Amino acid sequence: MEIELQEIRDFIAAIPPFDRLPEDVLDGITQALRIQYVRRGANVPGERGNKSMLHILRQGAIAMYSGKDNLIGMLGEGDICTSFCAADVMPDFYVRATEDTLLYSVPCDQLSGLVDNDESVLHFIRHSAAQRLKQAVARMQEQSSSNLLHTYAGDICRTPLITARPDNSIRECARLMSDKGVSSLVILEDAEPVGLVTDRDIRKRCVAQGLNVDTAVTEIMTRDIISLRASDSLFDALLVMTRNQVHHLPVFSDEGDIIGVITTTDIMRQEGVSAVHLTSTIRKAESLDELVEASRMLPRIQLQLVNMGADLHHLGYAITAISGAITRRLIEMAEEKLGPPPVPYAWIAAGSQARREQTSHSDQDNGIIISDKMQPGDDAWFESLAHFVNDGLNACGFVYCPGDVMASNPKWRQPASVWQEYFDQWIEEPEPMALMLSSIFFDLRVIHGKEKLLKKIRKKVLHKAPNNQLFLAHMTRNALGHRPPLGFFRDFVLVHDGQHDETLDLKHSGLVPIIDMARIYALAEGLSAVSTEDRLRAAAGTPSLSQGGSANLLDAFEFISNLRLEHQAAQIEAGDSPDNFMSPKQLSKLEREHLKDAFKVVQTMQATLEMRYQTGRI
Amino acid sequence: MLTWLFNADQKRRKLLAQAPDGPLRDFLATEFPDRKSPISKVPLLAMDFETTGLDAKQDHLLSVGHVELLDGGIILGSARHQIIHSDQEIRDENISIHRITHDQVANGISLGKAVESILKQLAGKVLLAHHAKVEIGFLQQACKHLYGMAPVLPAIDTMQIARKRMDRLQQPYKANELRLFNLRKQYGLPAYQAHNALMDAIATAELFLAQLAHGNYHKSPPLKNFLLGA
Repeated sequence: MEIELQEIRDFIAAIPPFDRLPEDVLDGITQALRIQYVRRGANVPGERGNKSMLHILRQGAIAMYSGKDNLIGMLGEGDICTSFCAADVMPDFYVRATEDTLLYSVPCDQLSGLVDNDESVLHFIRHSAAQRLKQAVARMQEQSSSNLLHTYAGDICRTPLITARPDNSIRECARLMSDKGVSSLVILEDAEPVGLVTDRDIRKRCVAQGLNVDTAVTEIMTRDIISLRASDSLFDALLVMTRNQVHHLPVFSDEGDIIGVITTTDIMRQEGVSAVHLTSTIRKAESLDELVEASRMLPRIQLQLVNMGADLHHLGYAITAISGAITRRLIEMAEEKLGPPPVPYAWIAAGSQARREQTSHSDQDNGIIISDKMQPGDDAWFESLAHFVNDGLNACGFVYCPGDVMASNPKWRQPASVWQEYFDQWIEEPEPMALMLSSIFFDLRVIHGKEKLLKKIRKKVLHKAPNNQLFLAHMTRNALGHRPPLGFFRDFVLVHDGQHDETLDLKHSGLVPIIDMARIYALAEGLSAVSTEDRLRAAAGTPSLSQGGSANLLDAFEFISNLRLEHQAAQIEAGDSPDNFMSPKQLSKLEREHLKDAFKVVQTMQATLEMRYQTGRI
Repeated sequence: MLTWLFNADQKRRKLLAQAPDGPLRDFLATEFPDRKSPISKVPLLAMDFETTGLDAKQDHLLSVGHVELLDGGIILGSARHQIIHSDQEIRDENISIHRITHDQVANGISLGKAVESILKQLAGKVLLAHHAKVEIGFLQQACKHLYGMAPVLPAIDTMQIARKRMDRLQQPYKANELRLFNLRKQYGLPAYQAHNALMDAIATAELFLAQLAHGNYHKSPPLKNFLLGA
């Protein structure tokens, strides 16, 4: 390549994923370019087959359509149009310049040949949105597991070291382990470790063999100790454990002294250490003030967990564990004040708390299912309970539900038979408006009280829902009310009809459509799973959802929720309150590409659902 | 009516008879593109020279850049750039304008080699340049010096196209507006930072594509409509 073309090469080299490519490949691409000028309003050339071209926009803007006037995306300077190279290009797909446009174009085949060694660029050029997204999520997971690389065995191993002598009996050792709450002991002789005994050794080598428990522990201990150095990473620890099929590893300091033992559970718990700690603080809280104080830790914990590489699954679990603990503690406090409940009841959480997808700033959605044994006059007790808990949750940062889905609302504080009537009516006589407000009640979990009260209702719901096509159709139509944007155009979010938004609502245009679809799959198949990921997994391979569709939606859900978590972590770190709104300016070019792919996956699945329930006809 | 190109092709054949063996003869032996061919099908060679001044007789060539256009696209793989050797002392002002150093000029290829390569590339194509008078003048002067005669060079001038368009629209303009940079801006073409002969040749080629696109032609007009002096 002539060095004078460097300006053109540099332009290409700055655009992901080409920025990953080595110089000689970039030189090759520059050499292969054809510069074309397309007048505003004219079609961008895009022959199919082996003559198809990839276009890099040097200047101007283009719009992509499938069929007549069905806009599917817009691109501006520095964007790449891969559509003609993709394996799944639609026959009625076309691209039109919306401004005078200068294109750097390269034949797809030639480009594929040039970047032959780079999987991810090849994927970018050739593969469908779903395939690209899958790769992005895999890479993200790879990166998040790398926090294990930066935590060291010496920092998390349990100290002080609990030890026994070789002449201790198995019974003495077992008692010591129970007292200290550990699952292993190091056997020391003259301050030198000579063996390791674990729960499992006692079970397999003593109890199962009928060995006398007064036998010396040396009979059952493992003599060849596999160990770690304090400076080994947790990743090393995991590898050693996996390779040797052991669950306990003694850790030696760099000076050669044994300092502790690390277990698989220790490694797994790494991500939730402070969450576990906070939950116990909450359990011990004596007053509302103490609870409020403890809740202030929540955003910090979210930040810490995200920085440790937790994904929505882990984080949602941790935050929901905390909000559940707060709710339970509040109920206990209320019961202390009000006396015992007149009849059994279940305190239920709806929505994100039920799905275990809460983040630190979620609002509260709850209700009470009261036993049908309830007598007139009993409601006063439940009303007081509801107000106490709702107010308490609000004070703890789980603000009042704007839609008034709270136990303090008499409508959502009813005996089981009334709840059952609600569900029967929603399912058997569906009305769009009523369903829109009630969809949240199809995600329920008991936080405190009688599980049975909900279980009975759920069983009936899951029995009736699959057979009520009209109900499913209405649920689908409501679910399609939230549609993902088409993509991005310059620094705007491109929504339908070519309109632009300043910000992207990660929740409503990204996560909610997936959550809503997962709920419909679960209801259509009568599945009891509640969390979105569980529902998508459980519904995979059923008539409602293909294996591939499930995998794609799981990828999209994970990608968007992780982006939201990172966004909120940055806000918490900056001292702002976390929200769901991102400006496209905050997104890297690569994140935009992956988001666009995630949106595409959601769009495809929405279209499939729309077709299945013929929502246009109701 | 005899057009300029008709004369040009006659002239090419006449010159061919007199031309000495070598690059010039080879160039003249290749037929010029048919003047009735649609412009999109005519192979073009966009070219830019950097020189020490505007007088082809006194000043000399510093560098040459060229790139081919075919089927409405610029073929970047055909892009070439050459710095031309000179024994003459280059004035400092040329160094600063063209950012070509004394060392580069000393290490450049000879004028003979450069012209030989240009003629080889240009054979069978039409020259495309902005303010083409300079490129034509210097190339002809170099040929005279090297081969004792100057060839006839069919050419398209993007500056002349712009001037004609403004004249036709009866739009008053300043000479400044006809500069490559300003015309490109009018068409929404990017402002390239580098100003070497090759990037200017590419810039000229892009300008020509934009001029064609903005001509609102139903079908590609014939070459003769664009030829300089036609």
